[in-house]
Formats: sequence, structure tokens, C-alpha cells
Amino acid sequence: MTARTLMNENLVALKPTDSVITAAELILQHHLRHLPVVDEKGRYLGTFGIYSMLQLTLPSAVLKQGLENIAFVKETSHDLAQRLNKRHDEPVRNWLTQDPIVYPDTPVMKVLQLILKGHTSVPVVNRETERLEGIISSWNVLETLMRERA
Amino acid sequence: MHGSEAAVTSLIFGLNPMWVAAILFALTYVVVMTEKINRAIVSLLAAGLMIILGILNQEAAIRGIDFNTIGLLIGMMVIVAITRQSGIFQFLAIWAAKKVNARPWGILVMISLVTAVTSAFLDNVTTVLLVVPVTLLITEELKVNPYPYLFAMIFSSNIGGTATLIGDPPNIMIGSATGLTFNDFAYNLSPVIFVIMAATLIPIYFIWGRQLKAAPEDRQRVMQFNEYEAITDPRLLKQCLLVIGLVVAGFVGARFLGLEAATVAMTGAALLLLLANWGRDAEHQSKHVLDAFNEVEWITIFFFVGLFIVVHGVDGTGLLKLLADKMLALTGGDLTATAMVILWSSAILSAIIDNIPFVATMIPLIKAMAPTFGGPEGLMPLWWSLSLGACLGGNGTLIGASANLVVAGFAERAGQPIRFIQYTLMAFPIMLMSIAISMFYLQWRYL
Repeated sequence: MTARTLMNENLVALKPTDSVITAAELILQHHLRHLPVVDEKGRYLGTFGIYSMLQLTLPSAVLKQGLENIAFVKETSHDLAQRLNKRHDEPVRNWLTQDPIVYPDTPVMKVLQLILKGHTSVPVVNRETERLEGIISSWNVLETLMRERA
Repeated sequence: MHGSEAAVTSLIFGLNPMWVAAILFALTYVVVMTEKINRAIVSLLAAGLMIILGILNQEAAIRGIDFNTIGLLIGMMVIVAITRQSGIFQFLAIWAAKKVNARPWGILVMISLVTAVTSAFLDNVTTVLLVVPVTLLITEELKVNPYPYLFAMIFSSNIGGTATLIGDPPNIMIGSATGLTFNDFAYNLSPVIFVIMAATLIPIYFIWGRQLKAAPEDRQRVMQFNEYEAITDPRLLKQCLLVIGLVVAGFVGARFLGLEAATVAMTGAALLLLLANWGRDAEHQSKHVLDAFNEVEWITIFFFVGLFIVVHGVDGTGLLKLLADKMLALTGGDLTATAMVILWSSAILSAIIDNIPFVATMIPLIKAMAPTFGGPEGLMPLWWSLSLGACLGGNGTLIGASANLVVAGFAERAGQPIRFIQYTLMAFPIMLMSIAISMFYLQWRYL
């Protein structure tokens, strides 16, 4: 079994110029934790997900300067929302995470290892064109396994 | 370190050993300056070549390594590695900001003082590494420009580091080579350091400070920070403060106790490792001890080892004695003139090149001047000139000291990059002012 068998080809993808708030709406609408970001040719650029979203509620000094303990900062949910509000127009390309990618012929064991290690979805990319062909989430794996069982 | 033990009389490849050593020494400097090859590799390779080419043998090379400096550095690095986990640095920064009701200029002064005092006892780089992120968080909450804060922190870390034996590597090296104690440094250098710290804040106030303003609601946000939440491990903090207290007491009483600085620092490190690992099983102990050792800056340590060997090799050939004689001829053997040449040249050179190899070279060179100035006692003003010049000179440019580069890295990530030229235009004159103050102080007190 390879990545191709597991991947979900019905993609919800973002453009790098999409705003953070567009991404938030898509995340909530589709109940997806991780959205791939692709350029105009469909090439995979990175992932913007719900964790990137939550990060945007933190002060820049925490985001960019590696301040490990911030328990001393007293903030309300209003403060957090305000900070997110200030950044809602920013393009998602500023906040992409680079997850490890796999190819359609990557063995399924490698895919499982990546999912378990990173607790994220794994983008499946065409080896030649670098276009995003699908995404494998832990849900896709479970669904496939349950079908096999039946 | 000057001695005949390492002297080689025969010619190497038909060349005088003094010139071979001089070329090797100059090459070490040049390659270190280019930063193309890691400085530890350069100094260890040069040290190896010194031995292979027969300028000195291995026994002489090992005698050339100042293990008191090495032990003191490693001991303090281990203590800092454990202490930083307690959150004390963040606590101090927040506490200082709240003490002045989160007024922007007050915070700048307080953060500078915290940085200076901490740098006087602990490593400058660690101090800025841990205080800068909290400072950036505070300036972000206050919506004020972080640049003046970062600028002031560079200066205060280098100024504070000058005040004590353990504050900055040049002082550690000078203390170790001359037998000057922690108390000698504190007694002779700290008075002028207070003046320099205060004087440095004046131009910072006029350039930036008076324009720093924050809205009351933003100041209120900072006032709501709970500094006690910054302490991640209260038990560890108590242990660290106890050991640092004992180590400082050990330095103060070192002469009375007949102890060298490395013994105090290494024993302190071992005691802190014992306390911090008390009650842990063997596996966890190994992990935590290894973590602490991994935090030791081995590049700096091996750079020192190689450098001591290279300088010892050069010293053995008589080259440094020759340079000392030339310098004395230039100053006419006058103590004041010699002190001033050392002060100003070390300040300007330390702004451009790494002050560690410079001080390593200057130590045997100054020692060779002892007969001219009536023995080791007569050299005192020269040691203080070297210390003030080499430590404060580091403020002159962005590459003058390691702490400067660490702060610049933070500034870059904060979207407020500190540009080399822009920094130098402000910093170099302020650094020269600190050297001018040192000059008056030295003349008033010693010359």
C-alpha cells in the first residue's frame, strides 16, 4: 500500500495571498485542522492550520523571540481576539509551516510514521511537477482501515 | 608566561623561529577575523602547527594553557546553564519594569541596571539572551520603539561585565595571569563603572529617551504582569541563589582562603549539580548533568585552549618582549603614556577585533614591561587600562562583543534590525566617551 491509496483528493486549499481570516472561516466551515497552501500552478508551498491561527493571538515577542514561559502575562479572551483582529488581513504566506511531504508512491508505513511524529496531515506531492495531489490525515487512514475491516 | 622553556634555537625551514611563530600568530588573527572558519578550529590548528613546527613542545604547550581561566569559564557556564532554567532573569526584568510603574524611560534605566548587574556576575551573552525577549514583550505591550532598549542593553551588558573579575573574559584572563583577585577588580574598577553607566544613559536619554511615551492603558497591561509566575521552579531558584551567593563569597574570600578562582567556580558548579539532581534516579541525573554540560560554550573554551598555546609559543620566541620594548621606546618608558596607549589602543582594537586574542597577547607583553616599572606592583595601572579598554571597547561596533551580535539577532527577528553603520555612528562616540572617563579616572587614581 502506498500514499496514493490513502490520500484524500478532494482538496480544500488556500492561496498564499488569502487572508488569515479567510483561512479561519474555511477551517471552521470544513472542520479541517490543516489547510495546504498552493501557488497558481498548484504547487505545494506549506500548511496553514488551526495552530497557526492560535499562534496569531500571542504577542510577537512570544511568536518570534522564543519566550518559553509566558505564564506571567495576564490577558483576557478579549485581548487575544483583539490581537487576532489586528492580524486578520495578513496573508497566510507569512505564517506557513513546512510539513514533511510524501510522494504518491511513498510506502504507507512511512506516511503513518510522519502522521504520528508530527501530529499533522501529510501533503502528497507529485515528484515531477511538485503539484499537490492530495492530503492524508489520520481520519483518512482510519476510514481506509475500517473499510478494509468490513 | 614569558620564559625560555619553549625557545627553539634551530632554524625552521631556514627561517628564524620568531618569524615562523609571528607568521602563524598573524595568520591566526586574520583567519579568525574573516570568520570564514570557526575560531576554535583556527586556534587549535594553529596550536598544533606551533608544536609540529617545533616552536614549542607539547609539555610547554600544556604549561601555556591557563587552566585557571578555563576552569573559571566552564564552572560559571555550568552555573548559568542551570540558573537560567529557574526563570530568574525574566523575573528580574518584569520586577524592574513594574518598580517604575511601567514608565518607558524608567523601564529603560531599570532594564539597563538589571543587565549591568547581572552581567557583572554572570555571562553577558546569557544575560541578554534571557532579558531581551521579555524586554521586547514589554515594549510591544507599551507600543514603544524597542531600538533604544536594545542599544542600552548592549552597552550595559559590556559595561557591567567590566566591573568584576568574572564579568567578562578579558578580566578573567587578566586576573588569572596576574593573581589579581575578585576584590581587586571590584575595588579598582567598579567606581568608574558606576560613573560610566550613568554617563552612557545621558546621550541615550537625549537621543531617544525623552520621546518615549506610552498610553496609560498600555502601561496598565505591563503592570498586570505577575513576575512570580515567571519563576518556573522555585526550589531550583533557591538552590541557584544559594550557590551563586556561596561562589561570590568564595571569590571575595579567595585570597584569605588561599583558593584560585577556578576552584571556587568549579566547586560551585559541582555543588549546584548535586543540589539540582538531589533525589533523581541515575538515568535522570545523567540526562540533567549532560544537559548542563551541553550548555557550556565549548567553541569558546577550545578557542581559549588553542589561543593560549599560540600566544605561549610566540612569547617563548621573545617576539612579545621585542614588541613590549618597542612600545616602551615609543612611550619613553613613561607609565602614564604607556597606560594611555594601552587604554586607547585596546578600546579601538576591541571594537573591531575579538578582544580575547588581543588580551591574550597583551598579557605577556605587559608582563615583559615589569622591570621598567619597578616590578609587578608597578604594572597595576596598565592592567586596569587593558581591562577598561578591552571590555568597554566592545561597545564600539556591532561586532565588538558576542552579546552585541545576540541582541542584533533578536532585533532582526523583531523587525527592528540594528544596522552596522547606524549602530556604529551612535555607539562609537559613546564608547569613546566611556574611554575618556576611564582615562581621567586612571590618571586621578593611579598616575
